[in-house]
Amino acid sequence: MKAHSSSTILLGLWTAFVLLFLFAPLFLVAVFSFNDSSISVFPIRAFTLRWYESLAANEAFRTALANSLIVAGATVVFATLLGMAAGVGVHRYVPRLRTALRSGASLPMMVPHLILGIALLGFYNLVAIDLSLTTVIMGHSVVAFPYVFLIVSARLVGFDPSLEEAARDLGASTARIFWEITLPLLAPAILTAALISFTLSFDEVVVTFFTTGTDNTLPMVIWSMLRVGITPEINAIATLTVVVSCAMAGVAEVIIRRSRLTAAKKGE
Amino acid sequence: MAARKTRQIAAATAFLGPPSLWIGALFILPMATMALLSFWRVVDYNIVADWTLANYERLARPLYLGIFWRTIKIALLVTVICALVGYPVAYFLARKTKRFQLILLVLVILPLWTSYLVRTYAWMLILGTNGAVNQALQGLGLTDTPVSWLLYSDFAVTLALVHIYVPFFILPLYAVLEKLDPRLLEAAKDLGGGRWRTFLHVTLPLSLPGVATGCLFVFIPSMGAFVTPELLGGARSIMIGSVVAQQFGVAYDYPLGSAMSLTILAIILVAATLFLRAGRPAGTAP
Repeated sequence: MKAHSSSTILLGLWTAFVLLFLFAPLFLVAVFSFNDSSISVFPIRAFTLRWYESLAANEAFRTALANSLIVAGATVVFATLLGMAAGVGVHRYVPRLRTALRSGASLPMMVPHLILGIALLGFYNLVAIDLSLTTVIMGHSVVAFPYVFLIVSARLVGFDPSLEEAARDLGASTARIFWEITLPLLAPAILTAALISFTLSFDEVVVTFFTTGTDNTLPMVIWSMLRVGITPEINAIATLTVVVSCAMAGVAEVIIRRSRLTAAKKGE
Repeated sequence: MAARKTRQIAAATAFLGPPSLWIGALFILPMATMALLSFWRVVDYNIVADWTLANYERLARPLYLGIFWRTIKIALLVTVICALVGYPVAYFLARKTKRFQLILLVLVILPLWTSYLVRTYAWMLILGTNGAVNQALQGLGLTDTPVSWLLYSDFAVTLALVHIYVPFFILPLYAVLEKLDPRLLEAAKDLGGGRWRTFLHVTLPLSLPGVATGCLFVFIPSMGAFVTPELLGGARSIMIGSVVAQQFGVAYDYPLGSAMSLTILAIILVAATLFLRAGRPAGTAP
Protein backbone atom coordinates (compact mmCIF):
# COMPACT_ATOMS: atom_id res chain seq x y z
CA MET A 1 0.00 0.00 0.00
CA LYS A 2 1.80 3.04 -1.21
CA ALA A 3 1.02 6.47 0.11
CA HIS A 4 -1.09 8.60 -2.16
CA SER A 5 0.69 11.47 -3.80
CA SER A 6 -0.57 14.97 -3.16
CA SER A 7 -1.84 15.26 -6.74
CA THR A 8 -3.98 12.15 -6.31
CA ILE A 9 -5.44 13.58 -3.12
CA LEU A 10 -6.17 16.90 -4.84
CA LEU A 11 -7.83 15.10 -7.76
CA GLY A 12 -9.88 13.05 -5.31
CA LEU A 13 -11.00 16.15 -3.45
CA TRP A 14 -11.94 17.85 -6.71
CA THR A 15 -13.96 14.79 -7.76
CA ALA A 16 -15.77 14.84 -4.42
CA PHE A 17 -16.49 18.53 -4.88
CA VAL A 18 -17.91 17.99 -8.39
CA LEU A 19 -20.10 15.15 -7.14
CA LEU A 20 -21.35 17.44 -4.38
CA PHE A 21 -22.13 20.05 -7.03
CA LEU A 22 -24.06 17.38 -8.99
CA PHE A 23 -26.09 16.06 -6.09
CA ALA A 24 -26.54 18.89 -3.61
CA PRO A 25 -29.22 20.73 -5.66
CA LEU A 26 -31.31 17.57 -6.01
CA PHE A 27 -30.86 16.81 -2.34
CA LEU A 28 -32.04 20.30 -1.47
CA VAL A 29 -35.24 19.84 -3.47
CA ALA A 30 -35.91 16.57 -1.65
CA VAL A 31 -35.30 18.18 1.75
CA PHE A 32 -37.70 21.03 1.02
CA SER A 33 -40.32 18.54 -0.17
CA PHE A 34 -40.46 17.17 3.40
CA ASN A 35 -40.25 20.55 5.10
CA ASP A 36 -43.26 21.82 6.98
CA SER A 37 -43.24 25.29 5.47
CA SER A 38 -45.08 26.74 2.52
CA ILE A 39 -41.97 28.54 1.30
CA SER A 40 -38.82 26.75 0.19
CA VAL A 41 -36.28 28.49 2.40
CA PHE A 42 -34.08 27.63 5.35
CA PRO A 43 -34.31 26.98 8.26
CA ILE A 44 -35.81 23.52 7.97
CA ARG A 45 -38.76 23.44 10.36
CA ALA A 46 -40.27 20.03 10.80
CA PHE A 47 -40.74 16.85 8.85
CA THR A 48 -44.04 16.57 7.03
CA LEU A 49 -45.68 14.49 4.33
CA ARG A 50 -48.39 17.03 3.70
CA TRP A 51 -47.05 18.15 0.31
CA TYR A 52 -47.19 14.57 -0.87
CA GLU A 53 -50.66 14.20 0.59
CA SER A 54 -51.82 17.33 -1.14
CA LEU A 55 -50.41 15.94 -4.38
CA ALA A 56 -52.25 12.68 -3.93
CA ALA A 57 -55.46 14.65 -3.58
CA ASN A 58 -54.68 16.76 -6.63
CA GLU A 59 -56.71 15.66 -9.64
CA ALA A 60 -54.40 17.32 -12.21
CA PHE A 61 -51.40 15.56 -10.70
CA ARG A 62 -53.08 12.13 -10.76
CA THR A 63 -54.14 12.56 -14.39
CA ALA A 64 -50.65 13.73 -15.35
CA LEU A 65 -49.06 10.78 -13.56
CA ALA A 66 -51.36 8.39 -15.42
CA ASN A 67 -50.54 10.15 -18.71
CA SER A 68 -46.82 9.99 -18.01
CA LEU A 69 -47.04 6.27 -17.28
CA ILE A 70 -49.07 5.63 -20.44
CA VAL A 71 -46.68 7.64 -22.60
CA ALA A 72 -43.54 6.13 -21.05
CA GLY A 73 -44.99 2.62 -21.27
CA ALA A 74 -45.92 3.01 -24.93
CA THR A 75 -42.56 4.61 -25.69
CA VAL A 76 -40.79 1.64 -24.12
CA VAL A 77 -42.77 -0.77 -26.31
CA PHE A 78 -42.24 1.12 -29.59
CA ALA A 79 -38.66 2.25 -29.06
CA THR A 80 -37.50 -1.11 -27.72
CA LEU A 81 -39.12 -3.18 -30.45
CA LEU A 82 -37.98 -0.90 -33.26
CA GLY A 83 -34.51 -0.30 -31.85
CA MET A 84 -33.98 -4.00 -31.27
CA ALA A 85 -35.23 -4.92 -34.75
CA ALA A 86 -32.93 -2.31 -36.27
CA GLY A 87 -29.94 -3.43 -34.18
CA VAL A 88 -30.37 -7.11 -35.00
CA GLY A 89 -31.27 -6.38 -38.64
CA VAL A 90 -28.25 -4.18 -39.30
CA HIS A 91 -25.91 -6.59 -37.55
CA ARG A 92 -27.21 -9.58 -39.43
CA TYR A 93 -28.15 -8.37 -42.90
CA VAL A 94 -26.05 -5.31 -43.70
CA PRO A 95 -22.81 -5.97 -41.81
CA ARG A 96 -20.82 -3.84 -44.24
CA LEU A 97 -22.85 -0.74 -43.43
CA ARG A 98 -22.78 -1.28 -39.65
CA THR A 99 -20.55 1.67 -38.82
CA ALA A 100 -22.30 4.04 -41.21
CA LEU A 101 -25.77 3.03 -40.03
CA ARG A 102 -24.75 3.32 -36.40
CA SER A 103 -23.67 6.92 -36.97
CA GLY A 104 -26.84 7.51 -38.99
CA ALA A 105 -29.09 6.10 -36.30
CA SER A 106 -27.49 8.30 -33.68
CA LEU A 107 -28.40 11.43 -35.67
CA PRO A 108 -31.61 12.07 -33.70
CA MET A 109 -29.37 12.20 -30.60
CA MET A 110 -27.34 14.97 -32.20
CA VAL A 111 -30.38 17.15 -32.75
CA PRO A 112 -31.42 19.24 -29.74
CA HIS A 113 -34.83 18.17 -28.41
CA LEU A 114 -36.14 21.66 -29.07
CA ILE A 115 -35.54 21.28 -32.79
CA LEU A 116 -36.91 17.75 -32.85
CA GLY A 117 -40.03 19.01 -31.08
CA ILE A 118 -40.72 21.91 -33.42
CA ALA A 119 -39.89 19.81 -36.50
CA LEU A 120 -42.52 17.28 -35.37
CA LEU A 121 -44.99 20.08 -34.65
CA GLY A 122 -44.47 21.58 -38.10
CA PHE A 123 -44.85 18.15 -39.68
CA TYR A 124 -48.01 17.22 -37.72
CA ASN A 125 -49.42 20.60 -38.64
CA LEU A 126 -48.66 20.19 -42.34
CA VAL A 127 -50.15 16.70 -42.63
CA ALA A 128 -53.03 17.70 -40.32
CA ILE A 129 -52.47 15.20 -37.50
CA ASP A 130 -54.22 16.36 -34.31
CA LEU A 131 -51.98 16.68 -31.27
CA SER A 132 -52.64 14.20 -28.48
CA LEU A 133 -50.78 11.76 -26.27
CA THR A 134 -50.32 9.62 -29.40
CA THR A 135 -48.26 12.32 -31.09
CA VAL A 136 -46.24 12.65 -27.87
CA ILE A 137 -45.56 8.91 -27.87
CA MET A 138 -44.45 9.07 -31.51
CA GLY A 139 -42.03 11.88 -30.65
CA HIS A 140 -40.67 10.13 -27.56
CA SER A 141 -40.10 6.93 -29.50
CA VAL A 142 -37.87 8.90 -31.89
CA VAL A 143 -35.95 10.30 -28.91
CA ALA A 144 -35.45 6.86 -27.36
CA PHE A 145 -34.84 4.85 -30.55
CA PRO A 146 -31.12 5.67 -31.02
CA TYR A 147 -30.35 4.72 -27.40
CA VAL A 148 -31.97 1.30 -27.82
CA PHE A 149 -30.34 0.78 -31.19
CA LEU A 150 -26.86 1.66 -29.92
CA ILE A 151 -27.17 -0.42 -26.73
CA VAL A 152 -28.39 -3.47 -28.66
CA SER A 153 -25.70 -2.97 -31.33
CA ALA A 154 -22.99 -2.74 -28.68
CA ARG A 155 -24.17 -6.01 -27.18
CA LEU A 156 -24.15 -7.67 -30.61
CA VAL A 157 -20.53 -6.70 -31.23
CA GLY A 158 -19.39 -9.27 -28.71
CA PHE A 159 -21.84 -11.80 -30.09
CA ASP A 160 -20.48 -15.12 -31.37
CA PRO A 161 -22.05 -15.73 -34.81
CA SER A 162 -21.10 -19.42 -34.68
CA LEU A 163 -23.93 -19.95 -32.18
CA GLU A 164 -26.54 -18.92 -34.73
CA GLU A 165 -24.76 -20.82 -37.50
CA ALA A 166 -24.65 -23.99 -35.42
CA ALA A 167 -28.38 -23.70 -34.76
CA ARG A 168 -29.03 -23.16 -38.46
CA ASP A 169 -26.92 -26.18 -39.39
CA LEU A 170 -28.96 -28.20 -36.95
CA GLY A 171 -32.03 -27.18 -38.90
CA ALA A 172 -33.51 -24.44 -36.71
CA SER A 173 -35.69 -21.89 -38.50
CA THR A 174 -34.82 -18.19 -38.50
CA ALA A 175 -37.68 -17.46 -36.12
CA ARG A 176 -36.60 -20.22 -33.76
CA ILE A 177 -32.99 -19.05 -33.80
CA PHE A 178 -34.17 -15.55 -32.95
CA TRP A 179 -36.37 -16.66 -30.06
CA GLU A 180 -34.07 -19.24 -28.56
CA ILE A 181 -30.60 -17.83 -29.17
CA THR A 182 -30.51 -14.18 -30.18
CA LEU A 183 -33.19 -12.91 -27.82
CA PRO A 184 -31.89 -14.54 -24.60
CA LEU A 185 -28.41 -13.23 -25.37
CA LEU A 186 -29.78 -9.78 -25.95
CA ALA A 187 -32.08 -9.80 -22.93
CA PRO A 188 -29.87 -7.72 -20.59
CA ALA A 189 -29.25 -5.12 -23.31
CA ILE A 190 -32.94 -4.97 -24.15
CA LEU A 191 -33.96 -4.57 -20.52
CA THR A 192 -31.42 -1.80 -20.00
CA ALA A 193 -32.57 -0.08 -23.18
CA ALA A 194 -36.20 -0.38 -22.07
CA LEU A 195 -35.40 1.24 -18.71
CA ILE A 196 -33.51 4.07 -20.39
CA SER A 197 -36.42 4.61 -22.81
CA PHE A 198 -38.77 4.78 -19.85
CA THR A 199 -36.81 7.48 -18.02
CA LEU A 200 -36.13 9.42 -21.24
CA SER A 201 -39.86 9.58 -21.84
CA PHE A 202 -40.84 10.05 -18.19
CA ASP A 203 -38.55 13.10 -17.88
CA GLU A 204 -39.03 14.55 -21.37
CA VAL A 205 -40.21 18.17 -21.44
CA VAL A 206 -39.40 19.87 -24.71
CA VAL A 207 -40.69 17.40 -27.29
CA THR A 208 -43.78 16.93 -25.12
CA PHE A 209 -44.27 20.70 -24.89
CA PHE A 210 -44.57 21.01 -28.67
CA THR A 211 -46.35 17.77 -29.52
CA THR A 212 -49.02 17.47 -26.86
CA GLY A 213 -52.58 18.60 -27.24
CA THR A 214 -54.51 19.35 -24.07
CA ASP A 215 -53.07 16.42 -22.09
CA ASN A 216 -50.29 17.01 -19.62
CA THR A 217 -47.52 14.72 -18.48
CA LEU A 218 -45.77 15.14 -15.11
CA PRO A 219 -42.89 17.30 -16.36
CA MET A 220 -45.45 19.48 -18.16
CA VAL A 221 -47.29 19.93 -14.84
CA ILE A 222 -44.04 21.00 -13.16
CA TRP A 223 -43.39 23.32 -16.09
CA SER A 224 -46.77 25.02 -15.95
CA MET A 225 -46.70 25.24 -12.13
CA LEU A 226 -43.28 26.90 -12.30
CA ARG A 227 -44.68 29.58 -14.57
CA VAL A 228 -46.89 30.64 -11.68
CA GLY A 229 -44.40 30.34 -8.85
CA ILE A 230 -42.50 27.97 -6.63
CA THR A 231 -44.72 25.83 -4.41
CA PRO A 232 -43.82 22.96 -2.07
CA GLU A 233 -45.88 20.61 -4.25
CA ILE A 234 -43.36 21.15 -7.05
CA ASN A 235 -40.65 19.93 -4.68
CA ALA A 236 -42.71 16.82 -4.02
CA ILE A 237 -43.35 16.03 -7.72
CA ALA A 238 -39.71 16.77 -8.53
CA THR A 239 -38.53 14.43 -5.78
CA LEU A 240 -40.91 11.72 -6.96
CA THR A 241 -39.66 11.88 -10.56
CA VAL A 242 -36.04 11.78 -9.41
CA VAL A 243 -36.79 8.74 -7.23
CA VAL A 244 -38.49 6.95 -10.14
CA SER A 245 -35.54 7.69 -12.46
CA CYS A 246 -32.98 6.59 -9.88
CA ALA A 247 -34.89 3.38 -9.26
CA MET A 248 -34.79 2.66 -13.00
CA ALA A 249 -31.06 3.41 -13.06
CA GLY A 250 -30.55 1.09 -10.09
CA VAL A 251 -32.40 -1.77 -11.74
CA ALA A 252 -30.44 -1.22 -14.97
CA GLU A 253 -27.18 -1.28 -13.03
CA VAL A 254 -28.12 -4.60 -11.40
CA ILE A 255 -29.06 -6.10 -14.76
CA ILE A 256 -25.76 -5.00 -16.34
CA ARG A 257 -23.70 -6.37 -13.41
CA ARG A 258 -25.58 -9.68 -13.44
CA SER A 259 -25.14 -10.18 -17.16
CA ARG A 260 -21.42 -9.43 -16.81
CA LEU A 261 -21.19 -11.95 -13.99
CA THR A 262 -22.89 -14.67 -16.01
CA ALA A 263 -20.73 -13.81 -18.99
CA ALA A 264 -17.66 -14.09 -16.78
CA LYS A 265 -18.82 -17.44 -15.41
CA LYS A 266 -19.23 -18.75 -18.92
CA GLY A 267 -15.62 -17.82 -19.45
CA GLU A 268 -16.18 -15.24 -22.19
CA MET B 1 -30.67 -21.37 -53.26
CA ALA B 2 -33.04 -18.80 -54.75
CA ALA B 3 -35.64 -19.71 -52.12
CA ARG B 4 -33.08 -19.13 -49.42
CA LYS B 5 -32.19 -15.75 -50.88
CA THR B 6 -35.87 -14.74 -50.98
CA ARG B 7 -36.30 -15.80 -47.38
CA GLN B 8 -33.22 -13.82 -46.45
CA ILE B 9 -34.63 -10.69 -48.08
CA ALA B 10 -37.99 -11.23 -46.40
CA ALA B 11 -36.32 -11.56 -43.02
CA ALA B 12 -34.16 -8.48 -43.60
CA THR B 13 -37.28 -6.51 -44.56
CA ALA B 14 -39.10 -7.73 -41.47
CA PHE B 15 -36.27 -6.49 -39.24
CA LEU B 16 -35.26 -3.32 -41.03
CA GLY B 17 -38.53 -2.19 -42.63
CA PRO B 18 -40.49 -1.03 -39.58
CA PRO B 19 -37.67 0.96 -37.94
CA SER B 20 -36.76 2.58 -41.27
CA LEU B 21 -40.36 3.58 -41.88
CA TRP B 22 -40.77 4.87 -38.33
CA ILE B 23 -37.60 6.96 -38.34
CA GLY B 24 -38.25 8.04 -41.91
CA ALA B 25 -41.75 9.25 -41.07
CA LEU B 26 -41.06 10.76 -37.67
CA PHE B 27 -37.53 12.06 -37.96
CA ILE B 28 -36.46 12.52 -41.58
CA LEU B 29 -39.79 13.83 -42.88
CA PRO B 30 -40.22 16.32 -40.01
CA MET B 31 -36.67 17.59 -40.46
CA ALA B 32 -37.30 17.92 -44.21
CA THR B 33 -40.59 19.69 -43.48
CA MET B 34 -38.72 22.13 -41.27
CA ALA B 35 -36.22 22.80 -44.06
CA LEU B 36 -39.10 23.46 -46.50
CA LEU B 37 -40.96 25.67 -44.04
CA SER B 38 -37.88 27.84 -43.63
CA PHE B 39 -38.31 28.95 -47.27
CA TRP B 40 -42.08 29.54 -47.01
CA ARG B 41 -44.11 32.45 -45.75
CA VAL B 42 -46.94 33.24 -43.39
CA VAL B 43 -49.79 35.21 -44.94
CA ASP B 44 -52.77 36.09 -42.78
CA TYR B 45 -51.96 33.37 -40.22
CA ASN B 46 -51.64 30.76 -42.94
CA ILE B 47 -48.42 29.13 -44.01
CA VAL B 48 -48.12 29.43 -47.79
CA ALA B 49 -45.68 27.59 -50.00
CA ASP B 50 -44.35 30.79 -51.44
CA TRP B 51 -40.61 30.41 -51.92
CA THR B 52 -38.58 33.11 -50.30
CA LEU B 53 -35.29 33.79 -48.56
CA ALA B 54 -36.94 36.48 -46.44
CA ASN B 55 -36.84 34.34 -43.27
CA TYR B 56 -33.08 34.06 -43.43
CA GLU B 57 -32.78 37.77 -44.21
CA ARG B 58 -34.80 38.53 -41.09
CA LEU B 59 -32.30 36.50 -39.05
CA ALA B 60 -29.67 39.10 -39.92
CA ARG B 61 -31.49 41.72 -37.86
CA PRO B 62 -29.38 42.99 -34.94
CA LEU B 63 -31.91 41.67 -32.42
CA TYR B 64 -31.65 38.07 -33.62
CA LEU B 65 -27.94 38.27 -34.40
CA GLY B 66 -27.37 39.46 -30.84
CA ILE B 67 -29.31 36.56 -29.38
CA PHE B 68 -27.53 34.07 -31.64
CA TRP B 69 -24.21 35.53 -30.57
CA ARG B 70 -25.14 35.36 -26.87
CA THR B 71 -26.25 31.74 -27.31
CA ILE B 72 -22.99 30.77 -28.99
CA LYS B 73 -21.00 32.55 -26.27
CA ILE B 74 -22.92 30.82 -23.46
CA ALA B 75 -22.71 27.41 -25.18
CA LEU B 76 -18.95 27.80 -25.68
CA LEU B 77 -18.44 29.05 -22.14
CA VAL B 78 -20.43 26.08 -20.78
CA THR B 79 -18.33 23.74 -22.92
CA VAL B 80 -15.03 25.21 -21.72
CA ILE B 81 -16.12 25.15 -18.07
CA CYS B 82 -17.35 21.56 -18.39
CA ALA B 83 -13.96 20.61 -19.86
CA LEU B 84 -12.03 22.32 -17.07
CA VAL B 85 -14.29 20.96 -14.33
CA GLY B 86 -14.72 17.52 -15.86
CA TYR B 87 -11.21 16.67 -17.02
CA PRO B 88 -9.72 16.15 -13.52
CA VAL B 89 -12.75 14.05 -12.56
CA ALA B 90 -12.45 11.80 -15.61
CA TYR B 91 -8.71 11.55 -15.03
CA PHE B 92 -9.17 10.61 -11.37
CA LEU B 93 -11.83 8.01 -12.20
CA ALA B 94 -9.85 6.44 -15.00
CA ARG B 95 -6.32 6.48 -13.66
CA LYS B 96 -6.10 7.27 -9.98
CA THR B 97 -8.61 5.11 -8.19
CA LYS B 98 -9.33 1.44 -8.37
CA ARG B 99 -11.23 0.99 -5.15
CA PHE B 100 -13.84 3.70 -5.74
CA GLN B 101 -13.88 3.57 -9.53
CA LEU B 102 -17.18 1.76 -9.92
CA ILE B 103 -19.15 3.66 -7.31
CA LEU B 104 -17.82 7.03 -8.54
CA LEU B 105 -18.69 6.13 -12.11
CA VAL B 106 -22.23 5.22 -11.07
CA LEU B 107 -22.48 8.53 -9.22
CA VAL B 108 -21.45 10.45 -12.34
CA ILE B 109 -23.95 8.56 -14.51
CA LEU B 110 -26.85 8.75 -12.06
CA PRO B 111 -27.69 12.46 -12.59
CA LEU B 112 -28.06 11.74 -16.32
CA TRP B 113 -31.02 9.53 -15.45
CA THR B 114 -32.76 12.32 -13.57
CA SER B 115 -34.92 15.02 -15.08
CA TYR B 116 -33.07 18.09 -16.35
CA LEU B 117 -36.20 20.10 -15.63
CA VAL B 118 -35.86 19.19 -11.96
CA ARG B 119 -32.13 19.90 -12.03
CA THR B 120 -32.84 23.31 -13.55
CA TYR B 121 -35.59 23.97 -11.03
CA ALA B 122 -33.26 23.16 -8.13
CA TRP B 123 -31.15 26.18 -9.07
CA MET B 124 -34.17 28.44 -8.69
CA LEU B 125 -34.29 27.39 -5.04
CA ILE B 126 -30.57 27.99 -4.65
CA LEU B 127 -30.11 31.26 -6.54
CA GLY B 128 -33.41 33.06 -5.90
CA THR B 129 -33.62 36.21 -3.75
CA ASN B 130 -34.75 34.01 -0.85
CA GLY B 131 -32.58 31.15 -2.04
CA ALA B 132 -29.95 29.21 -0.17
CA VAL B 133 -27.02 31.28 -1.45
CA ASN B 134 -28.58 34.59 -0.49
CA GLN B 135 -29.58 33.25 2.90
CA ALA B 136 -26.03 32.09 3.47
CA LEU B 137 -24.58 35.44 2.35
CA GLN B 138 -26.94 37.36 4.62
CA GLY B 139 -26.39 34.93 7.47
CA LEU B 140 -22.64 35.50 7.21
CA GLY B 141 -23.25 39.23 7.19
CA LEU B 142 -21.62 39.63 3.78
CA THR B 143 -24.60 41.51 2.42
CA ASP B 144 -27.70 43.19 3.86
CA THR B 145 -29.94 42.98 0.85
CA PRO B 146 -30.30 39.84 -1.23
CA VAL B 147 -28.08 39.68 -4.32
CA SER B 148 -30.57 39.88 -7.15
CA TRP B 149 -28.33 39.13 -10.12
CA LEU B 150 -27.82 35.49 -9.14
CA LEU B 151 -31.04 34.29 -10.71
CA TYR B 152 -32.39 35.40 -14.10
CA SER B 153 -28.95 36.04 -15.53
CA ASP B 154 -26.31 34.57 -17.85
CA PHE B 155 -24.58 33.42 -14.67
CA ALA B 156 -27.54 31.28 -13.58
CA VAL B 157 -28.02 29.80 -17.06
CA THR B 158 -24.32 28.98 -17.43
CA LEU B 159 -24.08 27.45 -13.97
CA ALA B 160 -27.15 25.26 -14.45
CA LEU B 161 -26.09 24.14 -17.93
CA VAL B 162 -22.67 23.15 -16.56
CA HIS B 163 -24.42 21.26 -13.77
CA ILE B 164 -26.69 19.45 -16.21
CA TYR B 165 -24.15 18.60 -18.91
CA VAL B 166 -20.83 18.05 -17.13
CA PRO B 167 -21.44 14.26 -16.91
CA PHE B 168 -21.75 14.29 -20.72
CA PHE B 169 -18.18 15.57 -20.83
CA ILE B 170 -16.78 13.25 -18.16
CA LEU B 171 -18.07 9.96 -19.58
CA PRO B 172 -16.58 9.94 -23.12
CA LEU B 173 -13.30 11.30 -21.77
CA TYR B 174 -13.26 8.63 -19.06
CA ALA B 175 -13.74 5.96 -21.72
CA VAL B 176 -10.69 7.22 -23.63
CA LEU B 177 -8.48 7.74 -20.57
CA GLU B 178 -9.30 4.32 -19.22
CA LYS B 179 -8.08 2.66 -22.40
CA LEU B 180 -4.76 4.53 -22.47
CA ASP B 181 -1.90 2.09 -22.70
CA PRO B 182 -0.15 2.22 -19.30
CA ARG B 183 3.11 1.22 -21.00
CA LEU B 184 3.23 4.61 -22.74
CA LEU B 185 3.03 6.35 -19.38
CA GLU B 186 5.66 4.02 -17.94
CA ALA B 187 7.91 4.74 -20.90
CA ALA B 188 7.50 8.49 -20.41
CA LYS B 189 8.39 8.10 -16.77
CA ASP B 190 11.40 5.91 -17.55
CA LEU B 191 12.66 8.52 -19.98
CA GLY B 192 12.74 10.97 -17.12
CA GLY B 193 9.54 12.87 -17.84
CA GLY B 194 8.14 14.33 -14.65
CA ARG B 195 4.51 13.91 -13.75
CA TRP B 196 3.53 17.17 -15.43
CA ARG B 197 5.57 16.56 -18.54
CA THR B 198 4.14 13.06 -18.90
CA PHE B 199 0.67 14.50 -18.59
CA LEU B 200 1.22 17.40 -21.00
CA HIS B 201 3.12 15.43 -23.64
CA VAL B 202 1.54 11.97 -23.44
CA THR B 203 -1.75 11.76 -21.57
CA LEU B 204 -3.30 15.03 -22.70
CA PRO B 205 -2.62 14.65 -26.45
CA LEU B 206 -3.80 11.04 -26.40
CA SER B 207 -6.99 11.99 -24.58
CA LEU B 208 -7.96 14.71 -27.09
CA PRO B 209 -10.48 12.52 -28.96
CA GLY B 210 -12.34 12.05 -25.66
CA VAL B 211 -12.16 15.78 -24.96
CA ALA B 212 -13.55 16.53 -28.43
CA THR B 213 -16.47 14.10 -28.07
CA GLY B 214 -17.20 15.41 -24.60
CA CYS B 215 -17.17 19.03 -25.82
CA LEU B 216 -19.55 18.12 -28.62
CA PHE B 217 -21.95 16.37 -26.22
CA VAL B 218 -22.03 19.53 -24.10
CA PHE B 219 -22.10 22.11 -26.89
CA ILE B 220 -24.99 20.56 -28.85
CA PRO B 221 -27.65 20.58 -26.12
CA SER B 222 -26.39 23.93 -24.77
CA MET B 223 -26.80 25.49 -28.20
CA GLY B 224 -30.40 24.25 -28.34
CA ALA B 225 -31.17 24.91 -24.66
CA PHE B 226 -34.72 26.02 -24.01
CA VAL B 227 -35.91 24.91 -20.58
CA THR B 228 -32.91 26.22 -18.64
CA PRO B 229 -32.69 29.74 -20.13
CA GLU B 230 -36.47 29.99 -20.01
CA LEU B 231 -36.56 29.27 -16.26
CA LEU B 232 -33.27 30.79 -15.12
CA GLY B 233 -32.46 33.39 -17.74
CA GLY B 234 -35.51 35.60 -17.51
CA ALA B 235 -35.68 38.67 -19.71
CA ARG B 236 -32.00 39.50 -19.15
CA SER B 237 -30.59 36.31 -20.60
CA ILE B 238 -32.55 35.19 -23.63
CA MET B 239 -31.12 32.34 -25.67
CA ILE B 240 -32.12 31.50 -29.22
CA GLY B 241 -34.08 28.41 -28.11
CA SER B 242 -36.70 30.58 -26.44
CA VAL B 243 -37.04 32.72 -29.55
CA VAL B 244 -37.52 29.61 -31.69
CA ALA B 245 -40.15 28.34 -29.26
CA GLN B 246 -42.01 31.67 -29.50
CA GLN B 247 -42.27 31.30 -33.29
CA PHE B 248 -43.99 27.96 -32.74
CA GLY B 249 -46.22 29.43 -30.05
CA VAL B 250 -47.59 32.92 -29.64
CA ALA B 251 -45.79 34.45 -32.64
CA TYR B 252 -47.05 31.72 -34.98
CA ASP B 253 -44.25 32.18 -37.45
CA TYR B 254 -43.17 28.61 -38.25
CA PRO B 255 -41.08 29.70 -41.26
CA LEU B 256 -38.95 32.09 -39.21
CA GLY B 257 -38.62 29.54 -36.39
CA SER B 258 -37.59 26.89 -38.92
CA ALA B 259 -34.96 29.16 -40.42
CA MET B 260 -33.60 29.77 -36.90
CA SER B 261 -33.55 26.03 -36.18
CA LEU B 262 -31.69 25.26 -39.38
CA THR B 263 -29.18 27.97 -38.49
CA ILE B 264 -28.71 26.37 -35.06
CA LEU B 265 -28.13 23.01 -36.76
CA ALA B 266 -25.62 24.63 -39.13
CA ILE B 267 -23.74 26.13 -36.18
CA ILE B 268 -23.73 22.72 -34.47
CA LEU B 269 -22.40 21.11 -37.64
CA VAL B 270 -19.58 23.65 -37.94
CA ALA B 271 -18.73 23.23 -34.24
CA ALA B 272 -18.79 19.43 -34.57
CA THR B 273 -16.36 19.57 -37.50
CA LEU B 274 -14.02 21.91 -35.64
CA PHE B 275 -14.15 19.95 -32.37
CA LEU B 276 -13.56 16.62 -34.05
CA ARG B 277 -10.73 17.99 -36.18
CA ALA B 278 -9.08 19.53 -33.12
CA GLY B 279 -9.56 16.25 -31.29
CA ARG B 280 -7.78 14.03 -33.78
CA PRO B 281 -5.19 11.92 -31.97
CA ALA B 282 -2.24 14.28 -31.77
CA GLY B 283 0.32 11.52 -31.25
CA THR B 284 1.32 11.79 -34.90
CA ALA B 285 2.11 15.49 -34.76
CA PRO B 286 5.77 16.46 -34.37
